[in-house]
Amino acid sequence: MSQFTQQVILGLLLGGIYVAVALGFSLVWGILNIVNLAHGALVIVGSYITWDLFTRWHIDPFLSLPIDALVLFVIGYALQRGVINRVIRAPLLFTFLLTFGINLIIVSLLLLIFTPDFRSVTPSYSGNGLHLGSVTIPYIRFGGLVVAFLLAGAMWTILNRTRIGAAILAVGADRDAAQLVGIDLRHMYALTFGIGAAFAGVAGGIISTFQSITPTAGDPYTLQAFAVVILGGLGRVSATVLGGLTFGLIEILGQSGPGPGYANAIAFVVLVIVLVVRPRGLLGRLA
Amino acid sequence: MIAREERVPRSLRRFALPIGIALLAFVILVPLTSTDAAQQAGLPLLADKLWFRIATTVAMFVVMASAWNIIGGLTGYASFGNVAFFGIGAYTVGVLVSSRGWPFPLALIVAPVTATVFALIVGIPLLRLRGHYFAVATLGIGVAVGEVVNNLAPLGASTGLFLPIVRSDLLFFYLMLGAAALAVCSTWLILRTRFGYGLLAIRENEEAAKIIGVNTNLYKVAAFCIAAALTGLAGGIFAQWNSFINQENVFAISDNVQMILMAVVGGAGTVLGPVAGAISLELIIQTLAGGGSKAVYSQIGLGVLLAVCVIFIPRGVIDFFGGQSRLSLRYLRQTLRETSA
Repeated sequence: MSQFTQQVILGLLLGGIYVAVALGFSLVWGILNIVNLAHGALVIVGSYITWDLFTRWHIDPFLSLPIDALVLFVIGYALQRGVINRVIRAPLLFTFLLTFGINLIIVSLLLLIFTPDFRSVTPSYSGNGLHLGSVTIPYIRFGGLVVAFLLAGAMWTILNRTRIGAAILAVGADRDAAQLVGIDLRHMYALTFGIGAAFAGVAGGIISTFQSITPTAGDPYTLQAFAVVILGGLGRVSATVLGGLTFGLIEILGQSGPGPGYANAIAFVVLVIVLVVRPRGLLGRLA
Repeated sequence: MIAREERVPRSLRRFALPIGIALLAFVILVPLTSTDAAQQAGLPLLADKLWFRIATTVAMFVVMASAWNIIGGLTGYASFGNVAFFGIGAYTVGVLVSSRGWPFPLALIVAPVTATVFALIVGIPLLRLRGHYFAVATLGIGVAVGEVVNNLAPLGASTGLFLPIVRSDLLFFYLMLGAAALAVCSTWLILRTRFGYGLLAIRENEEAAKIIGVNTNLYKVAAFCIAAALTGLAGGIFAQWNSFINQENVFAISDNVQMILMAVVGGAGTVLGPVAGAISLELIIQTLAGGGSKAVYSQIGLGVLLAVCVIFIPRGVIDFFGGQSRLSLRYLRQTLRETSA
């Protein structure tokens, strides 16, 4: 029984990471209708910033998260404004291919700058955890979960309680109407992508605390972000949170069944079943 | 994926046939000069080992890009799981030849069959999805099948499968060339039948196609299966040619992206677009490819090329050979304006 409880806790902690990764991905997809295949690469850029600050100036990984967000926001804004805006009205295959190309470029640049070596961030408390009977909760993973919930709260506040959020939602609902009421579309697209990238960067910062990072470590996260968004449903922060936690649970519990080699296979079988049976996701709304 | 009918100007059409036949004869006959018999007869050596590898790889990508074009270009369903068919075809030949001791030609006939059966099973539920959902569900299929194969002991698990080596560059070159010809001819034939028009109708507007009486589900699954059969065939040939297969070399998602890229860069939805794309891109990739540290730069080059093609020539290079558009600054500015914010 305690083994099961431990699995559930680990699943939820992992799910928290997926929530953090998927928030920005979901925003960009929902508002801009872009499935951003470079999302995982942006996540890993965040990881490298945290790693760099930690090894160079011994800045605690959790303190470097705002810096990740800031740097990634600038990168994301520039990418959308300079490049992706050029194909925003093209068929979806083109944005797909373009973001794949961007992913290739970012990963290659990371390889040039940081080499393919494994890098890890190891603050003094990284091995410790809270012991409750036979169940252990690692501090660092718990911190990740807390940050994930803070991110979800921040995303909800931005979208529902600020003028910029209202403008972003307006662009997502109807681009032409948004332009008619005076919203600068180019700026808004770039801003949305920048916010998505900033959230990706924070997620990357968390990831670097419990996983060794390499330039290619981001690719699985793109797929997982997609699975989370499908699972929860597009267009609501609460759906992303539910989707992420469920996905984490499925992955951990699934691994204890057929074995760790099947993590992706299980995830995608679930994904395909959800897509076919309930195409709008668990909490999805009408498109 | 913008519809364009291929129209060759009359002046070009007069020379097209003789030039085409001459080129084809050249491609088919040049390799013959590199056999030992030809050497003894005193023919000059026109092609070497490396040439064969590259030419066979190009032919392989012509098959994959053309096959993708049938489901992605003609039908408008951007499949990111075609590489699963390639892998299944390769593993069919791999298992039958290395574990069961079947002769290669017999195993090669089975490869497209297993790929088609698989396409039928996953195609029926997946082809109900559209757009991003279809793209990523198929991507998931590709990843999942690769991972399952990587874990199954009878399929060599993560070690992969070794096939008895067949030393004949000529054989595999002609086999791939044959498969490429088959793929191109299939596309050409499809576009001239009721079936082909049905696929184009689905791409342009699926509801409208259904209303005018196109059996959309049947047509989509059929297109998916044809693409699977062709890709599976290429995979089967690759297995014996390479004589070693594992998850990484036959289920690579990057191969899937590459075939899409070739079809799109060449001109999706046309007969010769994917061929032009496969030849030009593969040659560029081979030129850029360098060992060790240079590989990174070739990846960056590929990424930049991808971005430039997608932004500036979304209809593919074939658009410039149809007599409708000319490559000029004005054309680039216009395509840019069509899609940008």
